[in-house]
Amino acid sequence: MLSYFARRLLMVPLTFVCITFMVYAIMRAAPGGPIEQAKMQIRMAQMQEGGGGGGGLMDGDLDLPQSAIDDLKAYYKLDRAVPVGYLIWLGAWPDTARDGRFSGVLQGDFGKSYRFSEDVLDSITARFPISIYFGLIGYFATWIVCIPLGVRKALRHRSFFDTATSLIVFLGYSIPGFVAALVLLLLFATPLLGPGWELFPLGGFRSDSWDEMRAKGEYLWCVKDQIHHTAIPIFGYVMGGFATMTILMKNSLLDNLGADYVRTAFAKGLGERRVVFVHALRNSLIPICVGIGGAIGLLFAGSFLIEKTCNIPGMGLLGFESLLARDYPVIMGLLVFGVLIQLTGNIVSDIVLALVDPRVRFK
Amino acid sequence: MSLTALVEVVLVLACGYALTTRVAPWVFVRVARAAGFRAELTPVTRRRLARFKRIRRGFFAFQALATLFVVSLFLELLVNGKPLVIHYGERTAFPAVAEWADKALFFADISSFQKRSDFGMVGDAPVDYRAFARWAADHDALRADIERTATEAREARAALDPAALRPDAGEFHKRKLAAVERKEAEAATLRGTLDVFERGDAWIVMPLYPFGPSDLRYDLAKNPPNAPSLAETAPLGTDASGRDVVPLMLYGFRISIAFALLVSALGQGVGILVGGAQGYFGGWIDILSQRFVEIWGSIPFLFVMMILASIVTPSFAVLCAALITLRAWIAITYYVRGEFYREKSKDYVQAAIGCGVSDWKIITRHILPNAIVPIVTFTPFAIVSYITTLVSLDFLGFGLPPGTPSWGGVLKQGLENLKLYPHLTVIPTVALAATLYAVVLIGEAVREAFDPKVFSRLR
Repeated sequence: MLSYFARRLLMVPLTFVCITFMVYAIMRAAPGGPIEQAKMQIRMAQMQEGGGGGGGLMDGDLDLPQSAIDDLKAYYKLDRAVPVGYLIWLGAWPDTARDGRFSGVLQGDFGKSYRFSEDVLDSITARFPISIYFGLIGYFATWIVCIPLGVRKALRHRSFFDTATSLIVFLGYSIPGFVAALVLLLLFATPLLGPGWELFPLGGFRSDSWDEMRAKGEYLWCVKDQIHHTAIPIFGYVMGGFATMTILMKNSLLDNLGADYVRTAFAKGLGERRVVFVHALRNSLIPICVGIGGAIGLLFAGSFLIEKTCNIPGMGLLGFESLLARDYPVIMGLLVFGVLIQLTGNIVSDIVLALVDPRVRFK
Repeated sequence: MSLTALVEVVLVLACGYALTTRVAPWVFVRVARAAGFRAELTPVTRRRLARFKRIRRGFFAFQALATLFVVSLFLELLVNGKPLVIHYGERTAFPAVAEWADKALFFADISSFQKRSDFGMVGDAPVDYRAFARWAADHDALRADIERTATEAREARAALDPAALRPDAGEFHKRKLAAVERKEAEAATLRGTLDVFERGDAWIVMPLYPFGPSDLRYDLAKNPPNAPSLAETAPLGTDASGRDVVPLMLYGFRISIAFALLVSALGQGVGILVGGAQGYFGGWIDILSQRFVEIWGSIPFLFVMMILASIVTPSFAVLCAALITLRAWIAITYYVRGEFYREKSKDYVQAAIGCGVSDWKIITRHILPNAIVPIVTFTPFAIVSYITTLVSLDFLGFGLPPGTPSWGGVLKQGLENLKLYPHLTVIPTVALAATLYAVVLIGEAVREAFDPKVFSRLR
């Protein structure tokens, strides 16, 4: 068992390096990097000065002196070969720009954002808790919906209740979470249904005046405001995941109800409630618990869509904006977080499985 | 929508249904037989299919979706701003048919372009088919256009500086004069056109819905986006750039389904090969490739897709390839690997190995048919996720190139115009939800038919 986890942990750095190197190489090879953008800005400035006289866009290369280009390359750390540049970024190669010190991801230095010249790690960690807040609440809200629903569906297998809720579950499966959030925004954040139906704000994490009100001591207002802003995105997260989890819960309970140990429990005269809720339910919760790892990975993907839809300033929206601006250090930083989240999720799944299911022996 | 249009729609769907349920399977079997396959079902498969047909909900969804997709393959002939047939004098052209053939025979380059001057109009630009249709329907419309052009020409002539008429006039005046003469020539051309129309030698057949996905609706009174309005012949309104939402939804349906089918077919193919090899050969091949699958599966693929799309605007093929390599082949390898492990230890495989059958033949002919169940039951749900992925990428603006009709693109506009134009959110949502719902019903029925679970419990 221990050797299994040791092997899993050994895989983490390998996976991490493979993925980040691949993306780093792609981004270095891509056109439209910071040098091109700097050239573009200079060109725009020249065009405005020239008053549109020369059709500056048509000239292929503009006369930026080679020394200036070299300076720019050195500033953006694009002057080294791709593998060396990657190792510098990683912090496994001395960085000449910092007098030969090691300074990279391993040392906690993610570089500076091209856009704001802000430390990448700071801007990500400022937004990380927001994404986690929505992701975790969304995940546990999904549990609250799915477990009772799945249990009830399993107990009334093939009844009217089962069929009717199945149709709803399928509908939930066929509407992606962000689309559900979008429809809810339309219904309850715009005056579409009539005046008075603007129950929720159109987006955002909190109202602008939140900190002010908190300083004033209006805690009740703050809580209310937070809940207002949380409701629709959370619903989006729940819609995105509840169908799979409900079906999982139902099928796993049905499997267990047909198992021999349940028959034994009945045979020795236990009441149905006790058999279902103590014996069978405990075993059928295992797949749900194990799903926690996958859900952690989904959190990162889901945050892009829901945060864009509801305009929440979390990691997803940061990634979206950085991609539009080609802010490569931030993109690489987010990739590091994304990969780490995914890998942590995988390992957490295994650990949870080992904890809740004593039959499991990893080899 | 008039009654005739309704009848025509029903007729098209009926033809599509016949094509899907009768012609297509017949052709498929014939082609398979000609290619040397036995093309008959094993008793097990026949029983499974019969069970699938008995689950009415799923079977109906399957028929409806398949029919719609087959019909959508002919969309250029049904929903298009170009006419099916246009005839003028000696010239007859089939622009919509040409466009359809161009798409269907993607390797050939068939032009659907028709010049104005060939069809009684002035200039080298593409023919204004809607004006042509208006004239064909009502000659008075053409007369009014002639009258307007003639009046404009007269007024321009009257406003002309007398200096322009002198032979030694300057460049500026010459250009003015030329413009006036062009206008007069246009009026004369249109008079000639009227003659052809009155002879009955000019007619046009427009498709069922005469607007394509890239045609801008200049005929509506308001600036785009336009809310849905039956009175203004825009039953689903227009998007922010003035494109009609009806063709956007229909062409978007075709793109989504084609994308998902292609990705799942190729992705499953790769996944089956990899998983099959892992399970069949085992040993070091299995261990090494399993590590690779683990690494590859840990890529946060939506983010990486977005990174790729931000670097090069992906075309349909590039997007398919990216999704296949990054994601589509991974999940199926786990199922197939497990299934192959199980099957390999069985006697029939050992017997085949003992007979000296080649590995490739054992994998494809002996084990694969017995490992087909997880693949088949997995496919519909994979299709749902690929459609969702395409919509998500388009919604974020990192999907198909701008201008491609897509549901996600319209949803994106819906978010931008949430307060004023709810139809841009509601219509694609309904289209998406209905399509995915149908696929989910199919998936549920397929699972029930191929992998029936009998739950028995004491009560």
